[in-house]
Amino acid sequence: MSGAPLLAVTDLTVDYHTRAGEVRAVDGVSFTVETGQALGLVGESGCGKSSLALALLRLLPESAQIRQGQVLLEGVDLLALSANDMRAYRWNRIAMVFQSAMNALDPVYRVGDQIIEALEQHPSAVSQDPAERVRELYDLVNLNHNSIDRYPHEYSGGMKQRAIIAMALACRPDLIIADEPTTALDVIVQDRILRELGNIRRELNMSMLYVSHDMAVIAEVSDVVAVMYAGKIVEYGDAAAVFKRPIHPYTRALMSSFPSVTGEKHDLATLSGEPPNPLDLPSGCHFHPRCPFATDVCKEQAPPTVRRGTQWADCWNPPGDEADG
Amino acid sequence: MAAYLLKRTVQILLTLFAFICIVFFLVNAQPGDISNVYALNPELPPDAKQRMQEQFGLNQPLWQQFLVYVKNVLTGSFGLSFSHYPRSVADVIGERLPRTVALFFTATVFSFYMGFVLGKIIAWKRGGWTEYATTLGGVTLYTVFTPWFALMMIWLFAFKAGWFPIGKFLDPVLWRDAPLNANTLFNRMMLTVFVVSVIVFAIFLVTTRRRVAGARYIQIGSLAAAAAVTVGIWWSTDVGHLAWDLIEHMILPVLTLTIISFAGTMLLTRNSMLETMREDFVLAARAKGLPEKAVRDRHVARNALLPVVTSLVFSLAFAVDGSVIIESVFSWPGMGQTLVSAALAEDLPLAVGAFVFVGIFVLLAHLAVDVLYVYLDPRIRY
Repeated sequence: MSGAPLLAVTDLTVDYHTRAGEVRAVDGVSFTVETGQALGLVGESGCGKSSLALALLRLLPESAQIRQGQVLLEGVDLLALSANDMRAYRWNRIAMVFQSAMNALDPVYRVGDQIIEALEQHPSAVSQDPAERVRELYDLVNLNHNSIDRYPHEYSGGMKQRAIIAMALACRPDLIIADEPTTALDVIVQDRILRELGNIRRELNMSMLYVSHDMAVIAEVSDVVAVMYAGKIVEYGDAAAVFKRPIHPYTRALMSSFPSVTGEKHDLATLSGEPPNPLDLPSGCHFHPRCPFATDVCKEQAPPTVRRGTQWADCWNPPGDEADG
Repeated sequence: MAAYLLKRTVQILLTLFAFICIVFFLVNAQPGDISNVYALNPELPPDAKQRMQEQFGLNQPLWQQFLVYVKNVLTGSFGLSFSHYPRSVADVIGERLPRTVALFFTATVFSFYMGFVLGKIIAWKRGGWTEYATTLGGVTLYTVFTPWFALMMIWLFAFKAGWFPIGKFLDPVLWRDAPLNANTLFNRMMLTVFVVSVIVFAIFLVTTRRRVAGARYIQIGSLAAAAAVTVGIWWSTDVGHLAWDLIEHMILPVLTLTIISFAGTMLLTRNSMLETMREDFVLAARAKGLPEKAVRDRHVARNALLPVVTSLVFSLAFAVDGSVIIESVFSWPGMGQTLVSAALAEDLPLAVGAFVFVGIFVLLAHLAVDVLYVYLDPRIRY
C-alpha cells in the first residue's frame, strides 16, 4: 500500500447539543484507510463510533456539530464541500450498510426499486441499465432474482441484510461504511454474510470501515483495528498484532469478554463499571475508573502514546513484553 | 381480496341492521308524533288527530311498527315522509344526499390536501416562525366555534364584500324558466366530476406505476386538459350559467369547512412526519445522496401518509354530523338540514331514513378507505 491513503481523517471532533450541555461524542480522532483495506472500529455502545461513521458522510442529526477536523477522500475535504457537492459523494464514493438493517429499507417500495433509486441518483457511476445492474448485484450477494420485485416485509432478516449490501455496492463506491452490519442476525447467518462481504470486498478491491461493538466480528473482518473509548481512539494497529498482544487494558478487557473460538476454556471476564458519562468524563485517562492497573498519574494526566511497530495505544501503564502472551 | 370484500359486505349488512334497530327505537323514544302538529289547531275536527295516527299506523304497538319497518327496508322501501307527504323517504333523501356528499367530499379533499402539504412543510422546517404561526393559526381555526365562524364568513365575504351569494343552494330568479330541474343538473355535474376524476386518477396511477418518463408533466398536463375540456363543454351548453350558479353557492361553505378542518390533518401529518423522520430508511435515503425534497416527499411523507389516511375515515364520519351545523348556517338543503327538520316535525320515517342513509354512507366510506389502504401500504393483504 503506497501513495496517499483513500481516506484520511484528521482531528475529527463532534459535539452534541443536549439539554444538559455540550457532549463531545468524537474527540480529535485521526486515522487513515488505504485502498482495499478493512478498518475495524470497535468500542462499547455510546463510545462515539456511530457518530464518527455518520460524520464521514455528514449525516449527523441536527443536534450534532462537527467542531473541527478534516475528512479527506482522495485529497478532497468532504467537510468543506457544499451540501450539493456532498450529495454527489454520498453512495457514489462512500456507501453505507446500516445499523439495524431491518429498518433501512423503505417499507412501501419494492427492494429492487430502492436500489434503482440509488443508481438513478448517480447516473455516472454505472453505465449499465439499472435493472440489469440490480440483477448483477443480486447474483453477487446470492439473492434470487425473483425477490427483486418484492417488498421488504417479504424478505427474511438475512435477505434484507444481503439486499442492503447489494444496495451499498450498487454504485461501485470506493469505501463502504458498515455500521453494526450483522448485529440483528443470528450467529450463523451473521458469519456467512460477513464471510461473503469479505470476499466481495477483496474481489472488488474496495475499502471498508466496519463499526461494531462485537470484538469477534471485528476480528473476523478487519486488516487494521481501532479501539474507541469515550470518543477517542485508544489503541490502533494491525489486526493480527492487536489481537495477539493488545497494549491498552481496555482492549484486553474487551477481548477477554468474548469467548475464544479455538482457544481453551476460560472464564469470561466482564468489564466492571459502566461507560463513562460523556457529560462528566473522568480526568486524566478516561478509562482509569475501570482500569485494574490504574495509578495516581492516570487520574491526573492524559496518557502518552506507546508504540510497538505500527501498533500504538494511549496508556500510562502498558504491560511489559513478557508480562502478557 | 374478493373473500375479504365479501366478508366486509356481510359485516356491513350486520352493522347496518343493528344500526337500524337502534336508530328506530331511539327516534321513536321521543314523545309525541306527527299528529301533535294538529293537536292545538282549533279549526281541525277532534278526530282528525286520531285519523292521522290510524293512517300512518302510529296507533299500533311499537314492536309491530318495527316489524313493518324492517319488512319494508328488506324490500327496499323506506316508507313515505310524513312532512313531505306523499313523497317517499328515498325520494327526499335521493335529492338531498348528493348535495351533502358534494359539499363535504369537496371540502374533505381540499382540507386533506392542504393539511397534508402544510404538515409536511412545518415538520421539515422545524423551529421557525412559520411553524409557530401555522400551528397557532391552524389550531385556532380548528377549535373555533363553528356556527360563529361560519356566520362571520358569510358576513365578511357574502354580505360585506359581496363576492358570494348569502347561503342557499341556488338563486331562484335565475332558475325561473330554467330548461331543467336543479337536481338533475346537479347530479349531472357530479357525474361529470366523477368521470373526469376517474380518468385523471387512472392517468396518474399508470404514469407513476409504469415509471413513464416525464410523468410529472403528463400528470399536470392531463389535469389541466381535463379541467379545460370539462369547463369548455359545460360553458358551451345553455345551462352553463345555471351550473355556475350552483358552484357559486358551494364556494363559501366549502371554504369555511376547509378552513376549520385542515389543521387536524396538518397536526397529524406533522407528528407522523416527525416520527417517520427518525426511521433508518430516511437516513438511508439521505446517504444515497437524494436531494432533501426527494427524501421528504418520496420517503418520509409517503410513509407518514398511512396514519393520516386512517384519520380520514374518522373525519368522514365527522363530516356527517358537522353537516347539521354548516347546512343550517348556510341554509344548504342537504342531509343535515333534512335531519333537523324531520326531527322537529316528528317526521319519523324521514328521520330514521336520514340516519340510515348517513350510516350507509359512513360504512361505505370505511370500506373505500380500507381498499385504498391496500394500495398505499404493501404490507397490508386481505
